Amino acid sequence: MSTQTKNGYMLIFRGTDWHNGLSPEQMQQVASQWMAWFKRLTAEGKVVAGNPLEREGKIVSGKNGKIVADGPFAESKEAIGGYFLLKVDSLDEAVAIAQECPGLPYGARVEVRPVMDQCALSGEALPETQLAEATA
Amino acid sequence: MDAKNEYLLLFRGKDWWNGLSPEELRNTMEQVQGWFNQLTESGRLKAAQPLAREGAVVSGKNGTIVADGPFAESKEVIGGYVLLQANSIDEAIGVAQSCPTLKFGMQVEVRLAAEECPSMAYARRILSEEQFAAAAA
Repeated sequence: MSTQTKNGYMLIFRGTDWHNGLSPEQMQQVASQWMAWFKRLTAEGKVVAGNPLEREGKIVSGKNGKIVADGPFAESKEAIGGYFLLKVDSLDEAVAIAQECPGLPYGARVEVRPVMDQCALSGEALPETQLAEATA
Repeated sequence: MDAKNEYLLLFRGKDWWNGLSPEELRNTMEQVQGWFNQLTESGRLKAAQPLAREGAVVSGKNGTIVADGPFAESKEVIGGYVLLQANSIDEAIGVAQSCPTLKFGMQVEVRLAAEECPSMAYARRILSEEQFAAAAA
């Protein structure tokens, strides 16, 4: 599978409580850096969408989705705080943008994922003849 | 903080389709297609994209650690997302519950898109008005 894509990349910001324990001065600095970063990337046309997420949510699972649990938990290092959709041409460029994330020095992590044309289910799981049948 | 009434559904699961028969796969694809069509027709689907299984995870001070990942075999790996217009989290949960692939072990995380980043809201709480205004300028 190629990691080059014309569909862009998704940056997923992980870690939602990294700002706990920062001094007001540090918080002011990181808030300022984050806003400037987002404004610049938007002005450059590199960020085309994005959302911060409220901390609480639900996890739906089980047959027919009968299990509805609270989550993710904010103290989890993996909890997702928000995302950007990037319009850039290569994974390297997307990674370079991720490396500028102002939350990194405080323990935030950024997952960089190529956006695909079609779901892996249709792209990989079915031979083409069956795919044509299923989507007919 | 006023919400936008937009919910992000994150689809989590390893390659849950492994082991399905061709018939099961075909049926599932039709169900998934139908599910998307219904969401589109009802005007609730704002955006949806699948993600490639490979990517990178950037961490460390100044982002110097760039690791391969996430790993496709992880049960938690995100396979794609749907951005949904819904009036309440219960409505969004209802949509998640109707996802045809849950029975194969996939999980759906349901999250409200925030009007203001909770980190910024935290900054607003702990900073004076002048400090916050200076940061936001």
